[in-house]
Amino acid sequence: MEYKLRKAEPRDVPDILRLVKELAKYEEMEHQVTLTEKELLEDGFGDTPFYHCIITEIQGEKSSEDRKVVGFAMYYFTYDPWVGKQLYLEEFYVMDEYRGLGIGSGILRNLSNLAMKTRCTGMMFVVAENNEPSVQFYKRRGAEDLSQEEGWRLFRFDKDSLVKMAAPSEE
Amino acid sequence: MTFLDPWGQESQKQGSWRGTIHVHSLKELAEYENLAEHVKVTQKDLEQDGFSKNPFFHGIIAEVPEQHRTKEGHRKVGYTLYFYSYSSFVGRAIYMEDLYVMPEFRGKGVGKALMSKVAQLALAAGCHQLNFTILDWNKPSMDFYLGQGCFDATATIGYHCMRCEGEALKQLAQL
Repeated sequence: MEYKLRKAEPRDVPDILRLVKELAKYEEMEHQVTLTEKELLEDGFGDTPFYHCIITEIQGEKSSEDRKVVGFAMYYFTYDPWVGKQLYLEEFYVMDEYRGLGIGSGILRNLSNLAMKTRCTGMMFVVAENNEPSVQFYKRRGAEDLSQEEGWRLFRFDKDSLVKMAAPSEE
Repeated sequence: MTFLDPWGQESQKQGSWRGTIHVHSLKELAEYENLAEHVKVTQKDLEQDGFSKNPFFHGIIAEVPEQHRTKEGHRKVGYTLYFYSYSSFVGRAIYMEDLYVMPEFRGKGVGKALMSKVAQLALAAGCHQLNFTILDWNKPSMDFYLGQGCFDATATIGYHCMRCEGEALKQLAQL
């Protein structure tokens, strides 16, 4: 099957949100997606993008207009002050029916190349420990589990806690 | 106590704080975390990556007045290093990479004040979340943060932080 890997464009935003929701459903966290197409457009294609996206599209059978977005990766650059720039892989998803065709590996190869070209010393991401297929997929490719090996735990403040913390102190 | 935000809107002219986050502060934090041999970044890297047109990180420094300076003459006694990130679920987010206060200035609200500043900046930029990591043995830090209202996403959702680097990254690029 012919597929093409390219940088996402504003017109891809509806497909990006569709795939984000599909992945969330797979992770049983569908109700947590509050992101909208408007935010994705502003945040990814404005003056200062918060994220970058590459997508995989396949040529339809019928005509050249019949193209379908079947996979994507959302990433951004982060910073580890001990070793420098990192490429952070926020989302990586290939539709169920298009797996096993090398699309996922192709996306990872493209991103690893980009990481090396941009002087990143590593590619980082988060995986849920109960997502066995994904954990194995990454470990087979040499990823280290920093939570298990070094004891790093991810902590999070949600919006409400942020508001409380931002309030001026009574002291 | 004043908060200096050399990268943001309140900042003084560009470049006046070049090299403010000294590598020795990062090394102090790394030593506390027993990981000092992992600090490979140089003063030059920090200057280039934090102070160019599109910085890879931002920082806030806590500075005490002259009369409270340390024996060695330091007035900059704490800092936080953060950058903007993105959650595919909720959108704009902030990642706090480092938060450090020199031991002799702890217990005085400096850490809380630095975090409050990051929270304010996060909300001003339309962020919905603040993420960071802590080492599992670092009970004082975990207690401090849990007291501020966050939750442990590794314990509750099972999120593990993963990294591909060095040879593994090169292999992936050649797949």
